[in-house]
Amino acid sequence: MTRKPTSLLLLAMLSIAPGVRAAGGADGDIADLTLEQLNEIVVTSVSRQEERLSNAAASLFVISATDIRRSGARSLPEALRLAPNLEVARVDARNYAISARGFNSPFANKLLVLIDGRSVYSPFFSAVFWDAQSVVMEDIERIEVISGPGSTIWGVNAVNGVINVITRNAKDSQGTLLSVAASSGEGDASLRFGGRLSNNGYYRAYAQAMAAEDTDTAAGVNTFTGMQRRQAGFRADWGLEQGSIALSGDAYQANLGQIGTRDIRLSGANLVARYLRQLANDNALRLQLVLDHTERNQPGAYVDRLDTVELEGQHDVRVGMHKLSWGGGYRHSRDDNTPGPGFGFWPYERSLHWANLFAQDEVALSDSLRATGGVKVEHNTYTGAEWLPTLRLAWSPNATHTVWSALSRTVRAPARSDRDFVAPPKPVMLGGVPRFSIGTSPEFDSEVANVLELGYRAQPAQHWSYSLTAWYADYDKLRTLEPNTTVAPYRGILEFRNRSEGRTRGLELWARWQPMLRWRLNAGLVVQDVDTHLKPGSKDVSTAGLVINDPHSYWQLRSSHEIGEHMQFDWTLRYNGSMPKPHVPSYHELDANLVWKASPNVDVALAGQNLLHARHGEWGGYPGRNVFERRAVLKLTMRY
Amino acid sequence: MASASLTFLAAPPLLAGGWRNRLLVLALLLFAFSCLAVGSQPAGSTPLLERSVKAAFLYKFLGYMEFPADPGPTLVVGVLGADDVAAELAHITSGRSVGNRSISVRKLAEGEALGGLNLLFVGGDASLPEATLRAAEKNGTVIVTERDDGLQNGSVINFRLVDERVRFEVSLPAAERCNVRLSSRLLSVAYFVQKGGQ
Repeated sequence: MTRKPTSLLLLAMLSIAPGVRAAGGADGDIADLTLEQLNEIVVTSVSRQEERLSNAAASLFVISATDIRRSGARSLPEALRLAPNLEVARVDARNYAISARGFNSPFANKLLVLIDGRSVYSPFFSAVFWDAQSVVMEDIERIEVISGPGSTIWGVNAVNGVINVITRNAKDSQGTLLSVAASSGEGDASLRFGGRLSNNGYYRAYAQAMAAEDTDTAAGVNTFTGMQRRQAGFRADWGLEQGSIALSGDAYQANLGQIGTRDIRLSGANLVARYLRQLANDNALRLQLVLDHTERNQPGAYVDRLDTVELEGQHDVRVGMHKLSWGGGYRHSRDDNTPGPGFGFWPYERSLHWANLFAQDEVALSDSLRATGGVKVEHNTYTGAEWLPTLRLAWSPNATHTVWSALSRTVRAPARSDRDFVAPPKPVMLGGVPRFSIGTSPEFDSEVANVLELGYRAQPAQHWSYSLTAWYADYDKLRTLEPNTTVAPYRGILEFRNRSEGRTRGLELWARWQPMLRWRLNAGLVVQDVDTHLKPGSKDVSTAGLVINDPHSYWQLRSSHEIGEHMQFDWTLRYNGSMPKPHVPSYHELDANLVWKASPNVDVALAGQNLLHARHGEWGGYPGRNVFERRAVLKLTMRY
Repeated sequence: MASASLTFLAAPPLLAGGWRNRLLVLALLLFAFSCLAVGSQPAGSTPLLERSVKAAFLYKFLGYMEFPADPGPTLVVGVLGADDVAAELAHITSGRSVGNRSISVRKLAEGEALGGLNLLFVGGDASLPEATLRAAEKNGTVIVTERDDGLQNGSVINFRLVDERVRFEVSLPAAERCNVRLSSRLLSVAYFVQKGGQ
């Protein structure tokens, strides 16, 4: 039953492929339009920038600012649903499970996420705390979603994908913006102001607040997972004679509900400085400094403070037919964890270091064939040097078709949650040895994946483009939880080891079609197989290390319609296949968003979310599974 | 299973199972797609809309510029690293004029001299060496780019994609350096105007 829609969708997409002759061909007459009219033509082709990114021969999907605005998404995780190559499941009022190419869970640890170049992947928890990440949605320029390994550029943990959230240059966010959204269960408001600085500079400053009510389980029990959050920040950009400087910062504070205790308290602040210098002959130099502080005070669990400083540099050089990039970086984090009664991290306090060097060369072998080879070597506190090589080939017989292939080795390096996790946090001593039930895991090594990708991308006509990627990935040394089998007093203590392996393979397909000038369709489909198994000798005692719960397929169909001059109507139908462990039934859902441009400065939007069912769940087993209700959201945006 | 979803795409014997077969199916699928792609359009005949719009803008720009020296009866537009735009521009300007001047489009190779150009469009990633910039300023050639940091690289006009529309930004200091006057109408339509004295 779950397979039919997938097949039909793909069949539908195939059947419309040939002979597309849509409207909008302005051939010949386009030169008669005025400058203002030219300004208003919606071009659906891949931008130069996107094209340059996709030249990297990777499975890349770009979520544009327009996509986000038209979808009505009010948070980063909800916006990520627009990427057909991501699995997104809402867990409760504030938690999400987001991954690419399998291994999804609320603790998904193989997907790297960066906001304006700052990694938000926690080296403490080897996952992204989605409840701690927020940006002003209207100030996002684009979100680049790369499924597949990106380690040669982005380093360890970019195993199954990389998400780059890129906000607008301050030059592009001038004036005052107020946006307010409210529904029966959630609400948020953002106020932003942008202005000019001396020395050819621009700035914006913002403040935002949001609140989400608790959700209920399928059995109708309150989960107390609601939250409130406040954030403020700024960004300033200066154009220099030969380059640019960007400086941005955010500070936030949040209260998260928890059953039976006071609220979990989150706070954090960060500062990012970026310097770009254009050198002669299209060479460039980029330097970035990141300072980041996060604090998570969770009653009954721990109080964790993490401070990070990171410096990165990259130099791009063009030599003949070579485009060479090389650079390096150093990151230092200090994690200070005060344990609660149940578990802790040993030692309580630890300094973590990462240092990397990388070089990548793109060679134009002929007019149509490009080869890219690169390697990053990254040194970390736990496992020493990790080699992260990639080899990519792209063949573009003409401007509208590219066939590419890539072979990469990538690594997830241990986090504190892999190496230093202990329970109980204050053990009794037995023969001079702390008697943990789960001890530290000094032998836990990096998880490794070797990935082969084959892709095809084409824009055969102005109104029709698509991308197809097949991958095969071989995973080794996946995390398991094993009893120690050496001598007493260590025997029997559980520790994380790497006694599992797996492989994934699948197909990612997305397409964009504009049948009429005022109507666009986007479709995306992923079909995948995710297999893991224990190696001989493994006595894995729990599934904690090996949570695999991925659908075999998921797809979406998105329609964007312009109604008259002042209305836009969008809807998205999405499907998620059933998941086995814990069982989540497959579901279809429909979201719709109607935007009315009441005046040049005011937009009013009415969204309907989860329209197909009174309530549905996306993650977790019955009856504890959270359910999300059908609801309406009203949003007002004003710009002056 | 993945194979079930792909069932209808292939002949039954291929579906005995196993990832090798699925790769074969994929190869067939890729082949099918590429055939559809080639079949649906004679190569190179339909430019992307974005390229057409940029070509049209280039043509329009000519009407809103005052060049330092009298350009004579023909305005010459050079195009570097963007053959699609060059072809489209040649197509839309054939038989058209700006004022009483005809328009000639020249496809340039990297490193070629810029003499006699009124406008130079530098496509995508084509390199823009310092020497080219200096030569353009000396000759009164207006450089138009399409990159994020175009104005910082010294171009007079830079195309950007904003909300899925082609918009352009203008640098007045760069225009001044090559002694070209831009009309206020052009500036009023620009997405962003970089002013001098800063």
